[in-house]
Amino acid sequence: MSYVRQPNGAAVTFENVTVALGGNTILESISARIPQGSCTAIVGPNGAGKTTMLLALLGEVPYTGGIQISRADEGRHLRIGYVPQRLQFDRGMPLTVLEFMVMGWQRSPLWFGVRRSYRERALELLASVKADGLERRRIGALSGGEMQRMLLALALGQVPDLLVLDEPASGVDFQGEHVFCELLDKLRCERGFTQLMVSHDLPTVTHHATHVICLNRKVAAEGSPREVLTAETLTAIFGIHMGLVDSRAFSCSSPCCTGKSSHA
Amino acid sequence: MPELNVLYDIIPKLLPFECMQMRFMQLALVGLLLLAPMVALMGVQVVNFRMAFFADAISHSAFTGVALGLILAINPHWTMPAFGLLVGLAIVAGQRRSALSTDTVIGVFFSGVVAFGLAVVSRDKNVARDIQRFLYGDILTIENGDIWAMIALLAVLTFFQIYGYNRMLYIGLHPVVAKVHRVRVAAYQYIYAGLLSLVVIFSVWAVGVLLVTAMLIVPAATARNFSRSAGGMVWWALLVSATSVVIGLLISAQDWARTATGATVILVAFGWFLIGSGLGLFNGELNVHK
Repeated sequence: MSYVRQPNGAAVTFENVTVALGGNTILESISARIPQGSCTAIVGPNGAGKTTMLLALLGEVPYTGGIQISRADEGRHLRIGYVPQRLQFDRGMPLTVLEFMVMGWQRSPLWFGVRRSYRERALELLASVKADGLERRRIGALSGGEMQRMLLALALGQVPDLLVLDEPASGVDFQGEHVFCELLDKLRCERGFTQLMVSHDLPTVTHHATHVICLNRKVAAEGSPREVLTAETLTAIFGIHMGLVDSRAFSCSSPCCTGKSSHA
Repeated sequence: MPELNVLYDIIPKLLPFECMQMRFMQLALVGLLLLAPMVALMGVQVVNFRMAFFADAISHSAFTGVALGLILAINPHWTMPAFGLLVGLAIVAGQRRSALSTDTVIGVFFSGVVAFGLAVVSRDKNVARDIQRFLYGDILTIENGDIWAMIALLAVLTFFQIYGYNRMLYIGLHPVVAKVHRVRVAAYQYIYAGLLSLVVIFSVWAVGVLLVTAMLIVPAATARNFSRSAGGMVWWALLVSATSVVIGLLISAQDWARTATGATVILVAFGWFLIGSGLGLFNGELNVHK
């Protein structure tokens, strides 16, 4: 049975965050929010500082200003799941998907085998991202879409309050990206985490995001896709007229977007 | 340090070769058998995460460590590992703080260390004569104290690998993901670099500066050809490494061979690699024709 859970993920507020690296200002006094339980997308041209904004949130780049993260259950540590753009590894490396999944949970080394409880948990997670049957494959032999789902399963294994995805659809075709975003919508509904993603693909963003931050070193606009992704804003940040964004696409079908419960 | 006579006395019974009756050969075998699991375990990570250049830089710091010992009138057995450890930790600190690429940071340290060593050596003719020892290795002169030091290092390294092997894999694949997913990346990186530096320095005694990287890489690279999982790769690397040191030492002591022990050990490991590659090619052909 699938159901819509009340959002219990984290809410994030950026307050005058500035990132300067090597004398270059990459982010200039940005203030933005990521609402609890939302699917927030950061859009902007190349070099706009989208990934830097994620890295500042993850504590990977030094910044000035403040980033506040709050969530419903303050009694435990914040849990973040991170899906990077890609893994840089030697494709000949003999590491199976199952080993990849359990390497963060299992303390006893993989050369003593994978424990049954971890194996079952990994298989459940892989099934939840429609990656059943991949567990014996080498990670170097996965396609772009399979790799993406495996990375998502790894991040979901953290039981995240906040799921951060850096261009999750890079390296997959339009259809693959759409399917991946549908899957993310479903998982967000079921698990109630807040989702933050960087994306280049405006049609996908307009269809799946509930909150958009338009970035070009500064925050150009912020709000719901319908409010923010206007021809004026997009022309201002991308420098050309973005006629690609179809107003009919502002119709997220996910129960999280419509707020309706669905019982199967 | 107490003598490990019981251990040494077992060897001629297990390997009833004439050469194994001599105490220095028994010590050499024990030393190599202690080194074998260390290079196998660390080598798997060196190969998977392309750290051969790091190992090379540490090995070249060995003779600078010796030179420093001579200048400071301290036994080189202490200055070599201490200096290697210092260089290893300094490289990791440089990598973590610098915007330069990893290769560039290691290259800079490599050059500095080698230049310093050469400068010291060029001032003292006695040191220059000893350099050959470090180029080719000198496992046959290993002493009881060295064996104890290797036992201690193997114990610490085994504990680290059992505790941290999976987390090291995580860090090697994507340090940011590992850190966000609550792995203590910095601590693991420093401890691994420290242990790898010490293993490299001990390997310099065994096989020399020229072959130390091979000692780390060849068993692990061979293991890749035989194994289908990250877990299996460790066992194959251990097997290749242990058999190579035993066979290599025995061959080098034969009258018909009389070769440098370090080089012979590496040649045996290389033989394993050729067999593994051949099998890999054969299996590939079979899969194509299925």
